[in-house]
Amino acid sequence: MTLFSDEEKDILQEVMNIAFGNATADLAEVIDIFVVLTVPQIQVMKISELPTYFEKNIHGFERIWKLDQEFWGDFSGSGFLIFPEQIGKSLVELFGTGDLDPTENNPFDSLEKEILLEVGNILVGACVGKIAELLDTRVTYSPPIASQGECSNFARLVENYDSDQTAIIMKTVFEFENHNISGLLFFITSQDSIEWLKKSLYDYLESFDE
Amino acid sequence: MIFSQIFDMVNVGIVILDKDYNVFKWNRWLEARSKIPSEKIIGKSIFEFFPELNKSWFHRSFKTVMSFGNFSFFSQKLHSYFFPFKASNALDSKFEYMQQSCTMGPIRDKNNAIEYVYIMVQDVTEIAAYEQKLVELNTEDGLTGIYNRRYLEKKIEEEFARHQRYARPFSVVMADIDFFKKINDTYGHQCGDFVLQEFTKTISASIRKVDIFARYGGEEFCLLLPETPGKAAELVAENLRDIVEKSSYRYGDTDIRFTVSLGISELSDGVESAKELLTRADMALYKAKKSGRNKVVLH
Repeated sequence: MTLFSDEEKDILQEVMNIAFGNATADLAEVIDIFVVLTVPQIQVMKISELPTYFEKNIHGFERIWKLDQEFWGDFSGSGFLIFPEQIGKSLVELFGTGDLDPTENNPFDSLEKEILLEVGNILVGACVGKIAELLDTRVTYSPPIASQGECSNFARLVENYDSDQTAIIMKTVFEFENHNISGLLFFITSQDSIEWLKKSLYDYLESFDE
Repeated sequence: MIFSQIFDMVNVGIVILDKDYNVFKWNRWLEARSKIPSEKIIGKSIFEFFPELNKSWFHRSFKTVMSFGNFSFFSQKLHSYFFPFKASNALDSKFEYMQQSCTMGPIRDKNNAIEYVYIMVQDVTEIAAYEQKLVELNTEDGLTGIYNRRYLEKKIEEEFARHQRYARPFSVVMADIDFFKKINDTYGHQCGDFVLQEFTKTISASIRKVDIFARYGGEEFCLLLPETPGKAAELVAENLRDIVEKSSYRYGDTDIRFTVSLGISELSDGVESAKELLTRADMALYKAKKSGRNKVVLH
Protein backbone atom coordinates (compact mmCIF):
# COMPACT_ATOMS: atom_id res chain seq x y z
CA MET A 1 0.00 0.00 0.00
CA THR A 2 1.28 3.37 -1.01
CA LEU A 3 1.52 5.86 1.78
CA PHE A 4 2.63 9.41 1.99
CA SER A 5 5.63 10.20 4.14
CA ASP A 6 5.56 13.27 6.34
CA GLU A 7 8.01 14.98 4.05
CA GLU A 8 5.81 14.32 1.03
CA LYS A 9 2.84 15.64 2.90
CA ASP A 10 4.78 18.79 3.72
CA ILE A 11 5.67 19.40 0.09
CA LEU A 12 2.10 18.77 -0.96
CA GLN A 13 0.93 21.17 1.69
CA GLU A 14 3.30 23.77 0.32
CA VAL A 15 2.17 23.17 -3.27
CA MET A 16 -1.43 23.47 -2.20
CA ASN A 17 -0.75 26.71 -0.34
CA ILE A 18 0.84 28.25 -3.39
CA ALA A 19 -1.75 26.83 -5.79
CA PHE A 20 -4.68 28.09 -3.73
CA GLY A 21 -2.97 31.44 -3.31
CA ASN A 22 -2.67 31.74 -7.09
CA ALA A 23 -6.23 30.56 -7.50
CA THR A 24 -7.45 33.28 -5.13
CA ALA A 25 -5.66 35.97 -7.09
CA ASP A 26 -6.95 34.76 -10.45
CA LEU A 27 -10.46 34.20 -9.16
CA ALA A 28 -10.64 37.82 -8.06
CA GLU A 29 -9.73 38.80 -11.60
CA VAL A 30 -12.05 36.35 -13.32
CA ILE A 31 -15.21 36.70 -11.26
CA ASP A 32 -14.57 40.10 -9.71
CA ILE A 33 -15.07 38.73 -6.25
CA PHE A 34 -12.45 38.06 -3.66
CA VAL A 35 -12.68 34.44 -2.61
CA VAL A 36 -11.04 33.60 0.68
CA LEU A 37 -9.65 30.07 0.71
CA THR A 38 -8.40 28.78 4.05
CA VAL A 39 -5.08 26.95 4.27
CA PRO A 40 -5.88 23.51 2.92
CA GLN A 41 -5.82 20.58 5.29
CA ILE A 42 -4.36 17.43 3.90
CA GLN A 43 -5.14 13.94 5.08
CA VAL A 44 -4.43 10.51 3.70
CA MET A 45 -7.04 7.85 4.29
CA LYS A 46 -8.89 4.91 2.86
CA ILE A 47 -11.96 5.53 0.75
CA SER A 48 -13.97 3.50 3.25
CA GLU A 49 -13.11 6.04 5.94
CA LEU A 50 -14.40 8.94 3.90
CA PRO A 51 -18.07 8.90 4.90
CA THR A 52 -17.10 9.24 8.56
CA TYR A 53 -14.66 11.96 7.64
CA PHE A 54 -17.35 13.90 5.79
CA GLU A 55 -19.76 13.45 8.63
CA LYS A 56 -17.25 14.97 11.01
CA ASN A 57 -16.40 17.84 8.72
CA ILE A 58 -19.78 18.81 7.45
CA HIS A 59 -21.90 19.66 10.40
CA GLY A 60 -24.31 22.39 11.17
CA PHE A 61 -25.86 22.09 7.72
CA GLU A 62 -29.27 20.51 7.57
CA ARG A 63 -29.74 20.37 3.84
CA ILE A 64 -26.96 20.84 1.41
CA TRP A 65 -26.13 21.49 -2.20
CA LYS A 66 -23.44 19.12 -3.33
CA LEU A 67 -21.48 19.48 -6.48
CA ASP A 68 -18.94 17.03 -7.73
CA GLN A 69 -16.67 17.13 -10.67
CA GLU A 70 -14.17 14.58 -11.86
CA PHE A 71 -10.85 15.50 -13.30
CA TRP A 72 -8.34 13.27 -14.92
CA GLY A 73 -4.88 13.18 -16.43
CA ASP A 74 -1.68 12.43 -14.51
CA PHE A 75 -3.41 14.09 -11.61
CA SER A 76 -6.87 12.62 -11.26
CA GLY A 77 -9.68 12.51 -8.77
CA SER A 78 -12.78 14.44 -7.82
CA GLY A 79 -13.62 17.80 -6.43
CA PHE A 80 -16.56 18.15 -4.04
CA LEU A 81 -18.16 21.42 -3.21
CA ILE A 82 -20.62 21.59 -0.35
CA PHE A 83 -22.88 24.54 0.42
CA PRO A 84 -25.71 24.83 2.90
CA GLU A 85 -28.88 24.73 0.79
CA GLN A 86 -30.12 28.22 1.59
CA ILE A 87 -26.98 29.76 0.14
CA GLY A 88 -28.21 28.98 -3.37
CA LYS A 89 -30.41 32.07 -3.43
CA SER A 90 -27.53 34.35 -2.49
CA LEU A 91 -25.48 32.82 -5.28
CA VAL A 92 -28.19 33.60 -7.78
CA GLU A 93 -28.23 37.19 -6.57
CA LEU A 94 -24.48 37.40 -6.82
CA PHE A 95 -23.96 35.74 -10.18
CA GLY A 96 -27.32 35.58 -11.83
CA THR A 97 -28.21 39.23 -12.08
CA GLY A 98 -27.63 41.44 -15.01
CA ASP A 99 -27.16 39.51 -18.18
CA LEU A 100 -29.05 36.37 -17.34
CA ASP A 101 -32.71 36.48 -17.88
CA PRO A 102 -34.65 34.02 -15.78
CA THR A 103 -37.39 33.53 -18.33
CA GLU A 104 -40.39 31.37 -17.81
CA ASN A 105 -38.45 28.40 -19.11
CA ASN A 106 -36.13 28.85 -16.18
CA PRO A 107 -37.90 28.39 -12.90
CA PHE A 108 -35.88 29.58 -9.95
CA ASP A 109 -34.92 26.09 -8.81
CA SER A 110 -33.18 25.22 -12.01
CA LEU A 111 -31.57 28.65 -12.19
CA GLU A 112 -30.14 28.07 -8.75
CA LYS A 113 -28.73 24.76 -9.85
CA GLU A 114 -27.21 26.13 -13.01
CA ILE A 115 -25.56 29.01 -11.19
CA LEU A 116 -24.17 26.55 -8.70
CA LEU A 117 -22.77 24.46 -11.54
CA GLU A 118 -21.10 27.48 -13.04
CA VAL A 119 -19.63 28.72 -9.78
CA GLY A 120 -18.56 25.22 -8.76
CA ASN A 121 -16.93 24.64 -12.10
CA ILE A 122 -14.92 27.81 -11.68
CA LEU A 123 -13.86 27.04 -8.09
CA VAL A 124 -12.87 23.43 -8.76
CA GLY A 125 -11.20 24.42 -12.03
CA ALA A 126 -9.23 27.21 -10.36
CA CYS A 127 -7.87 25.03 -7.57
CA VAL A 128 -7.17 21.90 -9.63
CA GLY A 129 -5.86 23.97 -12.53
CA LYS A 130 -3.36 25.75 -10.32
CA ILE A 131 -2.12 22.53 -8.71
CA ALA A 132 -1.68 21.03 -12.19
CA GLU A 133 0.14 24.10 -13.37
CA LEU A 134 2.62 23.96 -10.50
CA LEU A 135 3.21 20.28 -11.08
CA ASP A 136 3.59 20.85 -14.79
CA THR A 137 0.76 18.70 -16.06
CA ARG A 138 -2.66 19.05 -17.66
CA VAL A 139 -6.05 17.86 -16.58
CA THR A 140 -9.34 17.32 -18.29
CA TYR A 141 -12.68 17.75 -16.55
CA SER A 142 -16.05 16.12 -16.76
CA PRO A 143 -19.07 18.39 -16.46
CA PRO A 144 -19.95 19.03 -12.82
CA ILE A 145 -23.01 17.37 -11.31
CA ALA A 146 -25.09 19.18 -8.72
CA SER A 147 -27.59 17.64 -6.37
CA GLN A 148 -29.34 18.77 -3.25
CA GLY A 149 -30.66 16.90 -0.30
CA GLU A 150 -30.36 16.07 3.33
CA CYS A 151 -26.96 16.16 4.82
CA SER A 152 -26.59 12.49 5.51
CA ASN A 153 -25.70 9.31 3.73
CA PHE A 154 -22.18 10.30 2.85
CA ALA A 155 -21.48 6.76 1.73
CA ARG A 156 -23.16 7.71 -1.52
CA LEU A 157 -20.55 10.35 -2.19
CA VAL A 158 -17.87 7.76 -2.62
CA GLU A 159 -19.78 4.77 -3.91
CA ASN A 160 -18.05 5.04 -7.29
CA TYR A 161 -14.68 4.45 -5.70
CA ASP A 162 -13.05 1.23 -4.63
CA SER A 163 -13.32 1.29 -0.85
CA ASP A 164 -9.86 -0.26 -0.41
CA GLN A 165 -8.15 2.52 -2.28
CA THR A 166 -6.19 5.23 -0.61
CA ALA A 167 -7.15 8.79 -1.17
CA ILE A 168 -5.55 12.09 -0.39
CA ILE A 169 -8.13 14.47 0.94
CA MET A 170 -7.61 18.16 0.72
CA LYS A 171 -10.10 20.33 2.49
CA THR A 172 -10.53 24.05 2.33
CA VAL A 173 -13.21 26.41 3.53
CA PHE A 174 -13.97 29.14 1.07
CA GLU A 175 -15.86 32.32 1.48
CA PHE A 176 -16.98 34.97 -0.95
CA GLU A 177 -15.75 38.04 0.87
CA ASN A 178 -18.45 40.50 1.94
CA HIS A 179 -21.20 38.24 0.65
CA ASN A 180 -21.75 35.89 3.56
CA ILE A 181 -21.49 32.86 1.34
CA SER A 182 -19.24 30.05 2.40
CA GLY A 183 -18.87 26.37 1.91
CA LEU A 184 -16.46 23.47 1.88
CA LEU A 185 -14.30 22.26 -0.92
CA PHE A 186 -12.75 18.80 -0.88
CA PHE A 187 -10.51 17.11 -3.35
CA ILE A 188 -10.04 13.39 -3.44
CA THR A 189 -7.00 12.25 -5.31
CA SER A 190 -7.37 8.82 -6.81
CA GLN A 191 -4.89 6.10 -6.00
CA ASP A 192 -3.77 5.88 -9.60
CA SER A 193 -2.21 9.28 -9.44
CA ILE A 194 -0.47 8.93 -6.11
CA GLU A 195 2.75 7.53 -7.58
CA TRP A 196 2.81 10.29 -10.13
CA LEU A 197 2.04 12.88 -7.49
CA LYS A 198 4.94 11.76 -5.30
CA LYS A 199 7.34 11.97 -8.19
CA SER A 200 6.20 15.37 -9.32
CA LEU A 201 6.35 16.72 -5.81
CA TYR A 202 10.04 15.88 -5.70
CA ASP A 203 10.50 17.26 -9.21
CA TYR A 204 8.86 20.42 -8.04
CA LEU A 205 11.17 20.62 -5.06
CA GLU A 206 14.21 20.06 -7.26
CA SER A 207 13.23 22.82 -9.61
CA PHE A 208 14.20 25.21 -6.82
CA ASP A 209 17.63 23.62 -6.30
CA GLU A 210 18.92 24.38 -9.76
CA MET B 1 -5.58 16.79 -43.22
CA ILE B 2 -7.72 14.03 -41.69
CA PHE B 3 -8.60 16.19 -38.71
CA SER B 4 -9.54 19.20 -40.74
CA GLN B 5 -11.95 16.98 -42.70
CA ILE B 6 -13.50 15.71 -39.50
CA PHE B 7 -13.66 19.27 -38.20
CA ASP B 8 -16.02 20.06 -41.06
CA MET B 9 -17.95 16.78 -40.96
CA VAL B 10 -19.02 16.48 -37.33
CA ASN B 11 -22.57 17.22 -36.35
CA VAL B 12 -21.59 19.86 -33.82
CA GLY B 13 -20.60 23.46 -34.22
CA ILE B 14 -16.96 24.24 -33.46
CA VAL B 15 -15.52 27.69 -33.27
CA ILE B 16 -11.99 28.49 -32.13
CA LEU B 17 -11.20 31.91 -30.72
CA ASP B 18 -7.88 33.55 -29.96
CA LYS B 19 -7.10 35.45 -26.76
CA ASP B 20 -8.74 38.58 -28.10
CA TYR B 21 -12.02 36.93 -29.07
CA ASN B 22 -11.12 36.86 -32.76
CA VAL B 23 -12.37 33.87 -34.73
CA PHE B 24 -9.58 31.53 -35.71
CA LYS B 25 -11.64 28.61 -37.03
CA TRP B 26 -15.31 28.30 -37.93
CA ASN B 27 -16.52 24.91 -39.02
CA ARG B 28 -19.00 23.89 -41.69
CA TRP B 29 -21.78 23.16 -39.21
CA LEU B 30 -21.62 26.77 -38.03
CA GLU B 31 -21.37 28.08 -41.59
CA ALA B 32 -24.54 26.24 -42.50
CA ARG B 33 -26.57 27.37 -39.47
CA SER B 34 -25.33 30.94 -39.26
CA LYS B 35 -25.16 31.56 -43.02
CA ILE B 36 -21.80 33.18 -42.30
CA PRO B 37 -19.02 31.71 -44.45
CA SER B 38 -15.77 31.09 -42.61
CA GLU B 39 -13.76 33.43 -44.84
CA LYS B 40 -16.01 36.26 -43.76
CA ILE B 41 -15.73 35.69 -40.02
CA ILE B 42 -12.16 34.45 -39.60
CA GLY B 43 -9.88 37.10 -38.17
CA LYS B 44 -12.81 39.17 -36.96
CA SER B 45 -14.06 39.55 -33.41
CA ILE B 46 -16.87 37.15 -32.57
CA PHE B 47 -18.75 40.07 -31.02
CA GLU B 48 -18.94 41.81 -34.36
CA PHE B 49 -21.21 39.01 -35.58
CA PHE B 50 -22.76 38.00 -32.27
CA PRO B 51 -22.96 41.10 -30.06
CA GLU B 52 -25.25 39.22 -27.66
CA LEU B 53 -22.21 37.24 -26.51
CA ASN B 54 -20.50 40.39 -25.30
CA LYS B 55 -21.77 39.89 -21.78
CA SER B 56 -20.23 39.42 -18.39
CA TRP B 57 -21.04 35.70 -18.13
CA PHE B 58 -19.31 35.06 -21.44
CA HIS B 59 -16.23 37.05 -20.45
CA ARG B 60 -16.20 35.33 -17.07
CA SER B 61 -16.15 31.89 -18.67
CA PHE B 62 -13.64 32.87 -21.30
CA LYS B 63 -11.29 34.25 -18.67
CA THR B 64 -11.76 31.16 -16.52
CA VAL B 65 -10.76 28.91 -19.39
CA MET B 66 -7.81 31.15 -20.26
CA SER B 67 -6.57 31.41 -16.66
CA PHE B 68 -7.26 27.96 -15.27
CA GLY B 69 -7.30 25.82 -18.37
CA ASN B 70 -10.54 24.21 -17.27
CA PHE B 71 -13.76 23.81 -19.18
CA SER B 72 -16.96 25.74 -18.99
CA PHE B 73 -20.28 24.07 -19.58
CA PHE B 74 -23.31 25.99 -20.71
CA SER B 75 -26.49 24.11 -20.34
CA GLN B 76 -29.51 24.89 -22.42
CA LYS B 77 -31.51 25.31 -19.22
CA LEU B 78 -29.70 28.44 -18.23
CA HIS B 79 -28.61 29.99 -21.47
CA SER B 80 -31.10 28.52 -23.96
CA TYR B 81 -28.61 29.23 -26.71
CA PHE B 82 -25.28 30.85 -27.52
CA PHE B 83 -25.80 31.64 -31.16
CA PRO B 84 -29.23 32.76 -32.35
CA PHE B 85 -29.91 30.23 -35.10
CA LYS B 86 -33.46 29.63 -36.23
CA ALA B 87 -34.86 26.37 -34.91
CA SER B 88 -35.48 24.21 -37.92
CA ASN B 89 -35.94 20.63 -36.86
CA ALA B 90 -38.60 21.02 -34.22
CA LEU B 91 -41.61 22.37 -36.03
CA ASP B 92 -44.08 21.94 -33.22
CA SER B 93 -41.94 23.32 -30.45
CA LYS B 94 -42.32 26.73 -28.96
CA PHE B 95 -38.70 27.57 -29.54
CA GLU B 96 -37.94 30.26 -32.02
CA TYR B 97 -34.22 29.63 -31.76
CA MET B 98 -32.24 26.43 -31.77
CA GLN B 99 -31.63 25.33 -28.18
CA GLN B 100 -27.97 24.73 -27.57
CA SER B 101 -25.77 23.03 -25.08
CA CYS B 102 -22.25 24.41 -25.29
CA THR B 103 -18.80 23.63 -23.96
CA MET B 104 -15.83 25.94 -23.83
CA GLY B 105 -12.27 24.73 -23.29
CA PRO B 106 -8.60 25.47 -23.78
CA ILE B 107 -6.35 24.63 -26.73
CA ARG B 108 -2.67 24.65 -25.90
CA ASP B 109 0.49 25.09 -27.92
CA LYS B 110 3.42 22.70 -27.61
CA ASN B 111 4.76 24.63 -24.62
CA ASN B 112 1.51 23.94 -22.81
CA ALA B 113 0.45 27.57 -22.91
CA ILE B 114 -3.17 28.29 -23.67
CA GLU B 115 -3.30 29.88 -27.09
CA TYR B 116 -6.92 29.43 -28.11
CA VAL B 117 -10.31 28.70 -26.69
CA TYR B 118 -12.77 26.43 -28.44
CA ILE B 119 -16.54 26.47 -28.17
CA MET B 120 -18.56 23.42 -29.14
CA VAL B 121 -22.22 23.84 -29.90
CA GLN B 122 -24.72 21.02 -29.75
CA ASP B 123 -28.28 21.28 -31.00
CA VAL B 124 -30.58 20.11 -28.18
CA THR B 125 -33.82 21.67 -29.40
CA GLU B 126 -35.58 18.34 -29.65
CA ILE B 127 -34.65 17.26 -26.13
CA ALA B 128 -35.61 20.66 -24.72
CA ALA B 129 -38.97 20.44 -26.47
CA TYR B 130 -39.66 17.01 -24.96
CA GLU B 131 -38.66 18.30 -21.58
CA GLN B 132 -40.98 21.25 -21.87
CA LYS B 133 -43.79 18.95 -22.90
CA LEU B 134 -43.14 16.74 -19.88
CA VAL B 135 -43.24 19.70 -17.52
CA GLU B 136 -46.53 20.80 -19.05
CA LEU B 137 -48.05 17.34 -18.77
CA ASN B 138 -47.00 17.19 -15.19
CA THR B 139 -48.27 20.55 -14.05
CA GLU B 140 -51.11 21.51 -16.36
CA ASP B 141 -54.73 20.50 -16.46
CA GLY B 142 -55.37 19.06 -19.90
CA LEU B 143 -58.80 20.60 -20.45
CA THR B 144 -58.34 24.13 -19.16
CA GLY B 145 -54.59 24.68 -19.43
CA ILE B 146 -54.36 26.04 -15.89
CA TYR B 147 -52.37 24.25 -13.20
CA ASN B 148 -53.48 20.80 -12.14
CA ARG B 149 -54.10 19.44 -8.67
CA ARG B 150 -50.70 17.81 -8.41
CA TYR B 151 -48.97 21.16 -8.96
CA LEU B 152 -51.34 22.92 -6.59
CA GLU B 153 -50.65 20.48 -3.79
CA LYS B 154 -46.93 20.97 -4.19
CA LYS B 155 -47.25 24.73 -4.42
CA ILE B 156 -49.54 25.13 -1.42
CA GLU B 157 -47.04 23.28 0.76
CA GLU B 158 -44.24 25.57 -0.41
CA GLU B 159 -46.24 28.76 -0.04
CA PHE B 160 -47.56 27.68 3.32
CA ALA B 161 -44.05 27.04 4.64
CA ARG B 162 -42.74 30.31 3.21
CA HIS B 163 -45.52 32.48 4.57
CA GLN B 164 -45.39 30.81 7.93
CA ARG B 165 -41.63 31.26 8.15
CA TYR B 166 -41.79 34.95 7.42
CA ALA B 167 -45.12 35.46 9.20
CA ARG B 168 -46.71 36.87 6.05
CA PRO B 169 -50.44 36.88 5.22
CA PHE B 170 -51.57 34.11 2.88
CA SER B 171 -55.07 33.13 1.73
CA VAL B 172 -56.62 30.25 -0.12
CA VAL B 173 -59.84 30.44 -2.12
CA MET B 174 -61.89 27.41 -3.12
CA ALA B 175 -64.39 28.03 -5.91
CA ASP B 176 -67.15 25.83 -7.27
CA ILE B 177 -69.38 26.55 -10.25
CA ASP B 178 -73.04 26.56 -9.14
CA PHE B 179 -75.40 23.97 -10.63
CA PHE B 180 -72.72 22.70 -12.96
CA LYS B 181 -74.46 19.34 -13.21
CA LYS B 182 -77.48 21.12 -14.62
CA ILE B 183 -75.38 22.66 -17.39
CA ASN B 184 -74.06 19.24 -18.27
CA ASP B 185 -77.52 17.68 -18.20
CA THR B 186 -79.16 20.46 -20.20
CA TYR B 187 -76.56 21.22 -22.86
CA GLY B 188 -74.33 18.13 -22.82
CA HIS B 189 -70.87 17.43 -21.53
CA GLN B 190 -69.14 19.26 -24.34
CA CYS B 191 -70.87 22.40 -23.26
CA GLY B 192 -69.80 21.62 -19.70
CA ASP B 193 -66.20 21.48 -20.91
CA PHE B 194 -66.72 24.76 -22.71
CA VAL B 195 -68.00 26.36 -19.52
CA LEU B 196 -64.98 25.12 -17.56
CA GLN B 197 -62.66 26.56 -20.18
CA GLU B 198 -64.42 29.92 -20.34
CA PHE B 199 -64.63 30.13 -16.56
CA THR B 200 -60.85 29.59 -16.19
CA LYS B 201 -60.16 32.20 -18.88
CA THR B 202 -62.34 34.73 -17.05
CA ILE B 203 -60.69 34.09 -13.70
CA SER B 204 -57.14 33.96 -15.11
CA ALA B 205 -57.64 37.37 -16.69
CA SER B 206 -58.73 38.87 -13.37
CA ILE B 207 -55.99 37.70 -10.99
CA ARG B 208 -52.39 38.76 -10.34
CA LYS B 209 -49.39 37.07 -11.91
CA VAL B 210 -48.20 35.76 -8.55
CA ASP B 211 -51.50 34.09 -7.77
CA ILE B 212 -51.74 30.39 -8.48
CA PHE B 213 -54.95 29.20 -10.04
CA ALA B 214 -55.55 25.48 -10.38
CA ARG B 215 -58.29 23.03 -11.21
CA TYR B 216 -58.87 20.99 -8.10
CA GLY B 217 -61.18 18.48 -9.68
CA GLY B 218 -64.49 18.47 -11.61
CA GLU B 219 -65.92 21.96 -11.40
CA GLU B 220 -63.94 22.83 -8.30
CA PHE B 221 -61.04 25.28 -8.46
CA CYS B 222 -58.46 26.58 -6.06
CA LEU B 223 -56.74 29.94 -5.95
CA LEU B 224 -53.64 30.67 -3.85
CA LEU B 225 -53.18 34.31 -2.92
CA PRO B 226 -49.67 35.01 -1.61
CA GLU B 227 -49.14 38.04 0.62
CA THR B 228 -52.88 38.50 0.97
CA PRO B 229 -54.81 38.64 4.26
CA GLY B 230 -58.30 37.11 4.50
CA LYS B 231 -60.14 40.43 4.28
CA ALA B 232 -58.36 41.37 1.05
CA ALA B 233 -58.94 37.86 -0.29
CA GLU B 234 -62.63 38.38 0.41
CA LEU B 235 -62.60 41.45 -1.86
CA VAL B 236 -60.78 39.51 -4.56
CA ALA B 237 -63.28 36.67 -4.33
CA GLU B 238 -66.24 39.03 -4.32
CA ASN B 239 -64.88 40.69 -7.43
CA LEU B 240 -64.49 37.32 -9.15
CA ARG B 241 -67.98 36.28 -8.13
CA ASP B 242 -69.35 39.53 -9.55
CA ILE B 243 -67.47 39.16 -12.86
CA VAL B 244 -68.73 35.61 -13.33
CA GLU B 245 -72.28 36.57 -12.49
CA LYS B 246 -72.22 39.35 -15.07
CA SER B 247 -70.58 37.31 -17.80
CA SER B 248 -72.45 35.50 -20.50
CA TYR B 249 -70.93 32.87 -22.75
CA ARG B 250 -72.13 31.99 -26.21
CA TYR B 251 -72.25 28.27 -26.88
CA GLY B 252 -73.67 27.51 -30.33
CA ASP B 253 -76.78 29.62 -30.37
CA THR B 254 -77.39 29.61 -26.63
CA ASP B 255 -76.23 32.20 -24.15
CA ILE B 256 -75.04 30.50 -21.03
CA ARG B 257 -74.87 32.23 -17.70
CA PHE B 258 -73.84 30.78 -14.41
CA THR B 259 -72.61 31.77 -10.97
CA VAL B 260 -69.88 30.65 -8.65
CA SER B 261 -69.57 30.11 -4.90
CA LEU B 262 -66.32 30.82 -3.12
CA GLY B 263 -64.89 29.88 0.27
CA ILE B 264 -61.83 31.53 1.79
CA SER B 265 -59.39 30.63 4.51
CA GLU B 266 -56.36 32.55 5.69
CA LEU B 267 -53.16 31.55 7.34
CA SER B 268 -53.54 32.28 11.06
CA ASP B 269 -52.11 31.00 14.32
CA GLY B 270 -54.40 28.02 14.60
CA VAL B 271 -53.63 26.64 11.15
CA GLU B 272 -51.05 23.90 11.45
CA SER B 273 -50.70 22.68 7.91
CA ALA B 274 -51.37 23.45 4.27
CA LYS B 275 -53.93 20.68 4.30
CA GLU B 276 -55.80 22.34 7.12
CA LEU B 277 -55.86 25.61 5.23
CA LEU B 278 -57.40 23.80 2.29
CA THR B 279 -59.95 22.06 4.50
CA ARG B 280 -60.98 25.39 6.02
CA ALA B 281 -61.48 26.94 2.59
CA ASP B 282 -63.54 23.91 1.64
CA MET B 283 -65.67 24.32 4.77
CA ALA B 284 -66.26 27.98 3.91
CA LEU B 285 -67.21 26.97 0.38
CA TYR B 286 -69.69 24.48 1.81
CA LYS B 287 -71.25 27.29 3.85
CA ALA B 288 -71.50 29.49 0.76
CA LYS B 289 -73.30 26.68 -1.05
CA LYS B 290 -75.58 25.92 1.90
CA SER B 291 -76.63 29.53 2.31
CA GLY B 292 -77.86 29.94 -1.23
CA ARG B 293 -74.87 29.88 -3.64
CA ASN B 294 -73.41 32.76 -5.68
CA LYS B 295 -71.74 33.85 -2.44
CA VAL B 296 -68.39 34.45 -0.80
CA VAL B 297 -67.73 33.12 2.71
CA LEU B 298 -64.61 33.75 4.77
CA HIS B 299 -63.82 31.01 7.27
